Amino acid sequence: MIHLPIAKAKDRLFEADPNNAPTEDLRDEIFQLEKEGEWIVQRVPEPYMEVKTKYGRIKKIPVEKTWHHKSCGQCGHIPGYSTSIFWLNRQFGLDYYDPTDQTSCTAWNYYASATSNPEAQAAVALRNFASAYEQGYFPLIHCGTSFGHYKEVRHALVHQPELRRKVRDIMKRLGKPFVIPEEIVHYSEWVLAMRHRIAERQVIDMSHITATVHPACHYHKLIEEDAIYDPEIYGAQRTAIVSATLQALGITVGDYSSWFDCCGFGFRHILVSRDFSRSFAVQRKIEVMKEEVNPDIVVTHDTGCVTTLDQSQFAGKAHGKKVGLPVLSDSQIAALAMGAHPYKVLQLHWHNTDNKPFLEKLGIDHEKRWSEFQAAVEKIKSGEMEYLTWEDADA
Amino acid sequence: MANQNILIIGGGPAGIEAAKGVAAMGFKAILVEKRDRLGGTPDEAQYAALTPDLRDAETALNEMKAPLDGNPNVEVMYNTLVTEASGSVGDFTIKALQMGKEVEIKAGAVIVSTGFTHFDPGRETQKYGYYEFDDVITLTDAEKMLKAHNFVRPSNGEKPKRVCFIQCVGSRDRRLGNEYCSKVCCGMASKQAIEIRQLLPDCKVFIFYIDMRMYGYWENEIYWPAQEKHKVNYVKGMATEIVRSGDRLLVKGEDTTLRRPMEIPMDMVILSVGMEPSEGTKQVAQIFGLKQNKYGFIETLGGPLDTVSTSVPGVFAAGACTGPADLEDSVSMGGLAAMKAMIALRQAEAVPA
Repeated sequence: MIHLPIAKAKDRLFEADPNNAPTEDLRDEIFQLEKEGEWIVQRVPEPYMEVKTKYGRIKKIPVEKTWHHKSCGQCGHIPGYSTSIFWLNRQFGLDYYDPTDQTSCTAWNYYASATSNPEAQAAVALRNFASAYEQGYFPLIHCGTSFGHYKEVRHALVHQPELRRKVRDIMKRLGKPFVIPEEIVHYSEWVLAMRHRIAERQVIDMSHITATVHPACHYHKLIEEDAIYDPEIYGAQRTAIVSATLQALGITVGDYSSWFDCCGFGFRHILVSRDFSRSFAVQRKIEVMKEEVNPDIVVTHDTGCVTTLDQSQFAGKAHGKKVGLPVLSDSQIAALAMGAHPYKVLQLHWHNTDNKPFLEKLGIDHEKRWSEFQAAVEKIKSGEMEYLTWEDADA
Repeated sequence: MANQNILIIGGGPAGIEAAKGVAAMGFKAILVEKRDRLGGTPDEAQYAALTPDLRDAETALNEMKAPLDGNPNVEVMYNTLVTEASGSVGDFTIKALQMGKEVEIKAGAVIVSTGFTHFDPGRETQKYGYYEFDDVITLTDAEKMLKAHNFVRPSNGEKPKRVCFIQCVGSRDRRLGNEYCSKVCCGMASKQAIEIRQLLPDCKVFIFYIDMRMYGYWENEIYWPAQEKHKVNYVKGMATEIVRSGDRLLVKGEDTTLRRPMEIPMDMVILSVGMEPSEGTKQVAQIFGLKQNKYGFIETLGGPLDTVSTSVPGVFAAGACTGPADLEDSVSMGGLAAMKAMIALRQAEAVPA
């Protein structure tokens, strides 16, 4: 079995040195701009967890008081993704806020060269940040694209006074405060930081499971110094995101040679050349994983990645390709490990590739679980209940 | 009267040459070395052979050091770290820690020869996998193996059948901030490629490069023999990623001559790591208040016509503490710094108090 690679030579232990980082620590500039009266910096609420990023700097991850910036694609294609994040928060009794006034970040079209301008992009980001600040909660970004985009927006705002001025004017006209968060935090960072607490409450054994990880491009390739790295995970040569979480759950992480490649989504491709996305996802990712590791499951942490890797496999199957790997998010795996319902919470029926063999390997009776879900659906159909509640989900 | 001692900080090739020059001219050389032996990086990193003449490094260094032994004009202080400095040309007072004990040194002039450190490939994450794969090594790792005449894959102890070098790791890299060429890596890689071919005739050796910078005589001494006599394959192109493929490594990149992506399996990958200022260089620069360039190397102020004078009168710098330097550069600078330091003392003498 191929395990997660890390050099065995004892004299090779890489510890990133923040004093030797090739880039500035943007937070210094952010706080300086606050001192100069340029904006308000929203602090990470205490208690927070500390993780290390690529150049050895400390990043604060809030435990609770989180404002959940949802993902358009998650809500539209794989709703169990977000539900699992909320379910985890509720299991730990954490205070969170699920806003109804969040705006789409518009980055998908921006990255496909299709729309907008820097002022509009930044104003959308700042409007969402302001909403979080006004509610007294700290932004936790579900979407990898929004996360990457907001980091780029923050970078642009720090370095471009003219952009700051224009966006400040827009916010003034909206009657919103001009606020920037101290950290831009992705939900998978929260899952990683919480991984030992999650593992403590694990009820499903996953020690016989092998997974491959696809780290999302917008997580670790945009403003790369803000991604989490850990000497214990790939010797801090790749981001620790997702892999560290899976290891904490006892899952074997298998290495495959195209790990750095895009999932195939590619923004422009998925919009204008979807067949390219399908081919790439199948041939450069799924088939390589299958050949080199043959895992039970693929785990990733972004909407586009889950959907593309999962929902491209039908095309490969039609062409006789080596496909058939279920794809889940880290939040779904973490929730499943803690006993979440595979259909009421994880909503695996929205996934395209057959995940039943995986559930069976975990000893989960998916037929029984499906019938429980169907019974709830019948109640909704009959008008006996309006929708599934959290209590129903755990019933 | 100016103090006639000349303090030399760092006992590598530049420092040894400076000490020899100072002593030969009748001045007192106090050579401070942080380790318990002289020889600098070529000794510490256990160089097998010198570039470009492939002479046995240990033999050559021993010959170089020999005139210092028992020389009444040379005092070598081992295990010693400079911690403070005050005074000016003709009258410096330096404090140092020798085996944990504070000592004071008086000197009229100072020569800094604190050298470089190799770039840590862990800072260029995911691209090279140095901390992920045992069979990815650096030039310095390879040098130790070649010195022991035991060049094998660290992962399984087997002799490699395919080895490649990747050039400019940590050099000529704007994103990292190291825009400079480290000068010696092309020659070092070519020299090691020849040594590997001599040791393992069945092993294919490749060098992936941006440009091969074989200046001066290295072109004829190393570059052409490597290709024509030893059949080393030079491939112009950038390696962008190293991943595992079965029990081998897969080097991904672009062959810019053929203008196409490449994916080539290898048993071992050697990273040609560049130079950065050593910790000692950065510390000593701060202690003496020497101007450093943006990379942290000590800045010399005389341009190409004075390569050793620093921003502080009476303090000179030689070798790779001033920037990437090969052995020829370092030794030449050591000799020049010795001469300039002695001139500084003479001039300090001539100025009435």
